[in-house]
Amino acid sequence: MPSSAPTPINAQRAQPPRGLYLHVPFCRSLCPYCDFVVIAGAAAFGPRSRMGGYLTAVEREIDLRAKANDAAFGALGEARASAERVPLETLYLGGGTPSLLPAEQLASLISRVRDRFGLVDGAEVTLECNPGADERGDFTASVQAGVTRFSIGAQSMDVAALRELGRRHGPDDVAESIAAARAAGATSVSIDLLADLPGVSLESWAGSLDAALALQPDHISVYALTLAAGGADEGEGSVDDRLATPAGALAWRRRAAAEQDEERGAQELELLDTRLPAAGFNWYEISNWAREGHTSRHNRLYWERAAVEAVGPGAHAFDGATRRWNSANLDAWEEALKNGDLPPGGAAAQISDRDAVAEGLVLSLRMSTGVDREAVVAAGFAEVLEWGETNGLLLPHPEDDARVHLTMRGRLLSNELFSRIV
Amino acid sequence: MSNIPQSRLRNFSIIAHIDHGKSTLADRLLEATHTVDPRQMTSQVLDSMDLEREKGITIKARAVRLEYVANDGLTYGLNLIDTPGHVDFAYEVSRSLQACDGAILVVDASQGIEAQTLANVHLAMKMGLLIIPVLNKIDLPASDPEAVMNELEETLAIPREEVILASAKEGKGIPEILEALVKRIPAPSGPLDAPLKALVFDSHYDTYKGVVNYVRVQEGRLKMGEAITMMGSGAQCVPVELGYFRPQHVPVQELQAGEVGYVATGLKSVRDARVGDTVTTTLNSATEPLPGYQVALPLVFAGLYPLSGEDYPALREALEKLHLNDASFTFEAESSAALGFGFRCGFLGLLHMEIVQERLEREFTLQLIASAPSCKYQVHLNNSKGEMLINNPAQLPSPNHIDEIREPWVNASIVTPTTYIGTIMDLSTDKRGIFDGMEYLDEKRVVMSFQIPLAELIVDYFDQLKSRTKGYASLDYVESEYRVAPLVKLDILVNGEPVDALSTIIHRDRAQSAGRVLAAKLKELIPRQMFEVPIQAAIGGTIIARETVKAVRKNVLAKCYGGDITRKKKLLEKQKEGKERMKRVGSVEIPQEAFLAVLRTDAD
Repeated sequence: MPSSAPTPINAQRAQPPRGLYLHVPFCRSLCPYCDFVVIAGAAAFGPRSRMGGYLTAVEREIDLRAKANDAAFGALGEARASAERVPLETLYLGGGTPSLLPAEQLASLISRVRDRFGLVDGAEVTLECNPGADERGDFTASVQAGVTRFSIGAQSMDVAALRELGRRHGPDDVAESIAAARAAGATSVSIDLLADLPGVSLESWAGSLDAALALQPDHISVYALTLAAGGADEGEGSVDDRLATPAGALAWRRRAAAEQDEERGAQELELLDTRLPAAGFNWYEISNWAREGHTSRHNRLYWERAAVEAVGPGAHAFDGATRRWNSANLDAWEEALKNGDLPPGGAAAQISDRDAVAEGLVLSLRMSTGVDREAVVAAGFAEVLEWGETNGLLLPHPEDDARVHLTMRGRLLSNELFSRIV
Repeated sequence: MSNIPQSRLRNFSIIAHIDHGKSTLADRLLEATHTVDPRQMTSQVLDSMDLEREKGITIKARAVRLEYVANDGLTYGLNLIDTPGHVDFAYEVSRSLQACDGAILVVDASQGIEAQTLANVHLAMKMGLLIIPVLNKIDLPASDPEAVMNELEETLAIPREEVILASAKEGKGIPEILEALVKRIPAPSGPLDAPLKALVFDSHYDTYKGVVNYVRVQEGRLKMGEAITMMGSGAQCVPVELGYFRPQHVPVQELQAGEVGYVATGLKSVRDARVGDTVTTTLNSATEPLPGYQVALPLVFAGLYPLSGEDYPALREALEKLHLNDASFTFEAESSAALGFGFRCGFLGLLHMEIVQERLEREFTLQLIASAPSCKYQVHLNNSKGEMLINNPAQLPSPNHIDEIREPWVNASIVTPTTYIGTIMDLSTDKRGIFDGMEYLDEKRVVMSFQIPLAELIVDYFDQLKSRTKGYASLDYVESEYRVAPLVKLDILVNGEPVDALSTIIHRDRAQSAGRVLAAKLKELIPRQMFEVPIQAAIGGTIIARETVKAVRKNVLAKCYGGDITRKKKLLEKQKEGKERMKRVGSVEIPQEAFLAVLRTDAD
């Protein structure tokens, strides 16, 4: 039986957050394929770094968001607070390179979140890190500051590939970082890997994968390198939650895309299905594998359509009914907060209940726990379920035949199914 | 409204190239004569259908009576008759012009004379209409009135003294135009006491009044209460209402010789009162109808199918409604193994087909698939089984039952500047055309005559003609006869199954290369499916070309976290929309573009 079934999809209503995402938009250098909200170079590191201003502003945003939640749902501990207003289960510091935060500031931020939103005992606090020696921060200090889980941006264990990707570290740095995280007492260590890399053969990639597995992380995320022009990852860039892509990065992406290969990419993802279970990892989401007990609790909140608060430029929040985001522009974000106002941003239009159910269906199907057959049929999606089964994309769940989930082929072709659901 | 004597009537049209300002000028004339209250003016009042406005062309003729108090203090009735301009509707144009005694020729002072205009001006001159030349858009910085006046003198022998300079947008030149209409265009002169002869130059169907004919009374009087007969169709009726347009209907008791207006007949079908027909009184009829009546026959046929089978009844209803108003459009039920149940529709030409399809999709909100257009073939069966006429390649019997196939030919005349003679010869001979000779209209222009198979014409002849001659050449064609040709049926198999809607009838010598090109094109147009899809072109049972559409291997969103969800949903929705515009044939999703791919096998 799946250990925790996803929350059932109700009619949409606003709820207090169960997790919080904090965006740290600084990197030492920009990777050409990156679509995240990041500034790099002098603005990120060194005497002219904007880190100071950012820290003041993000603390203010934490306060303002907390106040807003208090107003909407009652403050923590207050008798009149809604039953759902409880301390957060997860805190996720993403970026950029959050490990560039000085230890003291990191501790202060986590402490403020605990103060204003609460953090349950054993809450999962994730810090994204780059493995490079001058970017990884101090794992011990981080754990002392409250971090329980490290997500290390390895991307590849192949020296040439790392250089091509513009990464500032080598394979040894990955090994060192994992070791340091373990020594510091981290509860869980995850690494990110990329697939379908330009100029990397299937054999090389398999070798890199094996090298990563040998380091024995608890969790692995594998993403096929998606290269879209203009900083809008395969989608329309009509919202302002992205920054413009530099011309050099665009040129790199065009060249790199020409060297990608759909067949090879598919084979690499299929390879995961044979190698990872043997090493003790199970897939729990299309791109995510974990040893027993080491799934990312924070990310599961997204796929379960739970309410997640968010602070920082370009950060996205969801309250169960509305998706909201902050504008990506650091100046505008900082300026507003300096004046004591919530930062500029946008919100998605209200969607119908039917569309919310469809969305929930798609998100649930990304997970290995899949969906309850009858619930899907009752919601009016019997036809697409049948289509999925006929085309070999869906199978009954091995541990619970009341549920269906994606087959390996289904994971590779999941959009074919999802585009028939939305 | 006062009754205006015949001597103070003027019947005219406006001839102009698309975009040269015909509609704006018409608006200004309406305003200047207070025909329409300025507060009620929407722009381009006369182009009231959305579709007409978008394509920038007029489909239905309209007639409006302007009442103008001239400089001499007398009131004149100026009847403005609007005309379509495309070669598909040449017949309608000629009937509208026949209802006029003069025409305003509008030329954009920054563009000069365009091809479409030339054809219609020549037609108007041939019919004896008085031309009032107007140079429009003189307000534009690029306007060059001198140059255009020279051009008018050289190509049309129009003296520059007669040219009126105007800017319809700014209202300049309008008073001069109105005076010119009064002074230069002759008053109509048909006898008031002769038997009635009225020319039908347009018609439409009104749910309450039946067929409404737009008429120019040439002789006699058209009266309420008096039975009338359509001399061409034989239909008889008593007018339900008659009057003229201001532009709304203004009913009167009588229309006299020289007047232009409408008569609501109460008849149920536009076929009963077709364009070009002559209306006369049932008692004391005219002995001869007015000249020039022709029944316009559809020349181009295409299958129209609803994307979703459940829309079939809605499509049939829509076609019936459209048919009421468009005598030249025909349809009959048919079915296709690939596309299900639909209709084989007949059109005057490709533009007519596009317009009808768009109207069906827009006015009746239907999603349609059209199969490639074709013409009618005569198939002579062997074993003295006789002859069959087919308008759908799928109906062609197998070769061993066929003695010979005949295809329709047309006589085409092309008016062109001499510069393009060579490229037109190339194009036409390429399309199996036979050159019949050439006549000089003046030292710069010729009329070239060709015999050409209609099948070649409907593929993309017109578009090619326009692009090779930068729009200057104009095309007119008329059916001639059926001729034998070595024709074969080119079949397309998708995923091993023949798709009847993709079949074409093609000249044997072209079949091989057409098959290869078509298979290659379909490989690009048919999107990747969940499995590999072979595409084959075949003649008889022989495969002559093969392509393969590879199966889609990977279609997955790598990341789906908080910031991705809104964005990725849009991507999925786009993928969904892509699928919705396709027709499922067997297990393969095929887009509309694929069905029309047969159209352009020679071009690009």
